[in-house]
Amino acid sequence: MIYADNAATTKISDSVFEKMLPFLQEQYGNASSQYSLGVKAKRAIEQARQQVAVAIGAEPYEIVFTSGGSESNSWVLSSVNNGHVITSSIEHHSVINSCHSLERKGIDVTYLPVDSKGRVSLDSVKEAIRSDTRLVSIMLANNEIGTIQPIAEIGEYLCGRNILFHTDAVQAVGHIPVIVEELGVDFLTASSHKFNGAKGTGILYSRNGVSLPPLIFGGEQERGVRAGTENVAGIVATGYAIEESVKDMTVMADKLLAFVRATIYGIRAKIPNIIINGDENNHLPGIVNIVFDGATGESLMHLLDLKGICVSTSSACASGKDEASHVLMALGLTEQQAKSAIRISYGRYNNMNEVKTIVAAICNAYNKILSVKF
Amino acid sequence: MERKVCYVCGKDNLSKDEIGLTKKLLNKNIKCFYCFDCLAEYLEVDTDFLLEKVEEFKTQGCVLF
Repeated sequence: MIYADNAATTKISDSVFEKMLPFLQEQYGNASSQYSLGVKAKRAIEQARQQVAVAIGAEPYEIVFTSGGSESNSWVLSSVNNGHVITSSIEHHSVINSCHSLERKGIDVTYLPVDSKGRVSLDSVKEAIRSDTRLVSIMLANNEIGTIQPIAEIGEYLCGRNILFHTDAVQAVGHIPVIVEELGVDFLTASSHKFNGAKGTGILYSRNGVSLPPLIFGGEQERGVRAGTENVAGIVATGYAIEESVKDMTVMADKLLAFVRATIYGIRAKIPNIIINGDENNHLPGIVNIVFDGATGESLMHLLDLKGICVSTSSACASGKDEASHVLMALGLTEQQAKSAIRISYGRYNNMNEVKTIVAAICNAYNKILSVKF
Repeated sequence: MERKVCYVCGKDNLSKDEIGLTKKLLNKNIKCFYCFDCLAEYLEVDTDFLLEKVEEFKTQGCVLF
């Protein structure tokens, strides 16, 4: 199998897996227990909190562990109880659907447009701000096309305006430098399994002095704002995974960028009329989103799956309902183009031979689809 | 409903799964359909593998099957 869907999830790192394993077996104590087994679990959580804080330039007490990116995003958005919220039209569904929920409660939401490369402009943020704007939530990097948003610019503008600023950095953390102070954000979301950590563990950075209402009531875990017995093994994995990702980030970024370039070059040599979505100058290193004229992304994805290659289509096709991606539509693509796209997302464990195999398989699958009689 | 035949071998009365799989893998708007064996040959995979895929698509709730 060749796995090239690392924007969906990643394989847990071997060394990270080794670090988390004892907390599922020998060190399985409840971190709230007073005896030694519990204290060891508690220490492991606090060490992970420290590792995460160091990785994003925060203080440990500004980090809360959650169940994942969707929970962190939903928590921040759902904390707004009046006024106006600004977000972008290409956010992850955990943000978009949280905003829809706010609208049902009578809260106004502005969905900012993006340009053809998927970028939100600072000017559009400025224009959308109202006297009752409570929160701006813009993702750091898009999961479908990899475009990186001007978060630091927006953060600088919002500073001192009494408007909270949240960024969904799920696709960015562990892949590009993310320092909360430089971004000027009040809240930041990340997810462990996107950087070779464990599924079921998320991160919510909440700037010192900015409080959120409790999400889950119960014990005093996570300073009482998110009660419930901690996922110790997942949290430990998160700490080591973020440390590992940040450590070799530059080398990894160069490698992934080379894979993406080889992919585009290789496919374009055989299929010249492909369209590459995203912003070449502000882009995550490992993601490439390509439109194939005359073929659906779903067909391509399934034919590659038959050959043991995992890539993603942007459309929601599992139920047979063929919905075009809201992200690609926001770029100005036609519905047909949006349905003709696939996303290839490389990760730590890919190599150039796999890239060559993927390129050849895509060209072959594309020809198969176009060769059939309609 | 009109009976569908295999575009390659002429097998008559293709099943809903054969029609659905041709649509799923090649194009939803396709007018020419393949039986499992001919589709497997065209896509260079085993027929049994395609049958497994049909079950996967059914598990996902795909309405084409």
